[in-house]
Amino acid sequence: MTKLLLVDDDAELSSMLEQILTKEGYQLTLAPDGETGLQRALSGSYDLILLDVMLPGIDGFQLLQRLRQQLRSTPVLMLTARGDDDDRVQGLELGADDYLPKPFNPRELVARVKALLRRTPNTSVRPEPLEFAGFHVNPLQNEVRCDEQTLELTPTEFDILRALVQGKGQVVSKDQLSVAALGRQLAPFDRSLDVHISNIRKKIEHNPERIQTVRGRGYRLLQLA
Amino acid sequence: MRWYHSLTLRLLLLFWALLFAVASSGFLLAIWYSQPETPEPLSAEISNSLSPILSDPSIFSSLTPGRILAGNYRVAAAVTPEEGPTRLQLEPNLANTHRRELLSLLDAHEPQQLRLPNGMLLGPFGFEAQRILLIRPLTEAEREQQQISAKQAEDAQTLVLLFGSLLIAVLLGFWLVRPLKKLIGATREIAAGADKLHLKRLPKRNDELGELARALETAAHDLKVSRDAQRRLLSDVSHELRSPLARMQVALMLSQDDDPDANADANPHLVQMSRDVDRLGTIIERILSLSRLENGLVKLHPEPVNTYELAQTLAADLTYVDEQQGKRVLVLKGEWPVTATDDELLRLVIENLVRNALQYTDGIIELSCVRHDNDRCTILVRDHGDGVPEEQLQQLFEPFYRGDPSRNHKAGVGLGMALSLRAANVLGGSVTARNHPDGGLEVSINLPIQHLQETEQEQQEPA
Repeated sequence: MTKLLLVDDDAELSSMLEQILTKEGYQLTLAPDGETGLQRALSGSYDLILLDVMLPGIDGFQLLQRLRQQLRSTPVLMLTARGDDDDRVQGLELGADDYLPKPFNPRELVARVKALLRRTPNTSVRPEPLEFAGFHVNPLQNEVRCDEQTLELTPTEFDILRALVQGKGQVVSKDQLSVAALGRQLAPFDRSLDVHISNIRKKIEHNPERIQTVRGRGYRLLQLA
Repeated sequence: MRWYHSLTLRLLLLFWALLFAVASSGFLLAIWYSQPETPEPLSAEISNSLSPILSDPSIFSSLTPGRILAGNYRVAAAVTPEEGPTRLQLEPNLANTHRRELLSLLDAHEPQQLRLPNGMLLGPFGFEAQRILLIRPLTEAEREQQQISAKQAEDAQTLVLLFGSLLIAVLLGFWLVRPLKKLIGATREIAAGADKLHLKRLPKRNDELGELARALETAAHDLKVSRDAQRRLLSDVSHELRSPLARMQVALMLSQDDDPDANADANPHLVQMSRDVDRLGTIIERILSLSRLENGLVKLHPEPVNTYELAQTLAADLTYVDEQQGKRVLVLKGEWPVTATDDELLRLVIENLVRNALQYTDGIIELSCVRHDNDRCTILVRDHGDGVPEEQLQQLFEPFYRGDPSRNHKAGVGLGMALSLRAANVLGGSVTARNHPDGGLEVSINLPIQHLQETEQEQQEPA
């Protein structure tokens, strides 16, 4: 059974979300504050973490930061009730895979959860290894090596990079990338994909600009000279 | 501030001191030029012509001041040794005005000549202990020379006054205008939302200008504090309103799921509630956006934007959401510029206007663009509805204003136009509305065009 962790101090909301997600066939564990949330998350036995930003004790951003230092492979969906776009971007920069602003339609939450969970090694489109522009993608092990160095990627970053490598230097549109990595179309005003790309670039030691922005169209990989 | 720090007093004193300095320097100059000339050695010619007369010692005893010696020469002063104290006789008129010159010349060792305003003083000539000074009228040439030197003195005085006052004016201007310029700059910085002002040492001044500078600094700081408070409040309000709303939404879905009817959506009350919860969410979102725009809390991400593509994408997205509505949006070819602006904000401006038009009218909505010159363009959103009464055109952009109350239930929350206007202002533009002569409402978005270097356009954007 798929196990989810919900870190939110809003007990009423948590219990209602538990009902909904349980009905969808997930096993939900609750954590009412940051400390508990971090401990449970680090136990590593969850398939997805739902994380609220405003938490007593350590807040959602700090929790995420510490979590990502040790655990990269678990997808994280941020739930935020704060309005600033900066807050949303900040979560993504710290390694969240996607965010959902409160109030949200519960069906949307379920859809996002499903989209993030869809990517398990056995459901990947092409299990055979891919190679382009110095990147070596091994879908079976969820591993990407760049110039013979293993990149520490979050699941979303892995999916974006895999889609780019699959494109073999062709422009991959933002919508394609969004569908491949986040399982949804990009909304207008949505900068999440740009933040993910920027995160990936930061992890590439040499020539991060080989992931090229094609303005208005998308991204592509440049073959190294 | 103490009374002696007052700018008025300082200005007064400064003007006074500087005017006094100019006047006195002119005055001193005049004195300098009108100073009697230094005595010169007697020319041989005069000594020769006088020597026959003066070689006769008997003549000295009879000489008293005022007496004419020979020709033009009169006696100006005489010293005759007698028993006891020496007897000094001076010509009375000269003694009044030039006593000092007379006495100093009498003590000279060699005969000399000294020019006075009314004559040339010669001497001393003597025989044994007797000495006399002579005076003769000035010749024509000498008088002329005197006039020239007087004129020179006058010129110099005028020049000193002219340049002195100019220098003072420049100094005063500098002293007054420079801090004023700094203050103007600082005011602009405050308007632009700066916290730290570039006033340098101006706030340390003791006078009114210093006080103004300090007041400006305090104002900038207070504004910063209030902006921060506003930001925090926005964040808090947003959190406090959104959390219960989120719960309501989840609860609604649960109650719909709990409904024993197979078709849960059939319960009209729950559907109504669900719609209103969505609306409430939209209203909160928009009020917050409006407030962020008005308080300058929106961070701009300027990048090259092809406005034509933006309009087309917008139309396509509207079609994606609602095919019937999307079909009504027509993007006309025109002079759509490529400009460096924040694409999301620009999209917000146009989208709200288009949505508004879609909501209030049933016909085609045309999007077009006109360029005025190289620097500005106007994007036009025109519908083919009934238009808006002239007197209500201005109110269109007020928050929560709705043109037609009877369509209230169907229309949005009444914040779209207000948002458009504020967002356009943030982008350095404006939004105005008018009724098109051929019918329908035409909303104009006037925007500045930020030109791009070709190379910049091709550059990669940092994601």
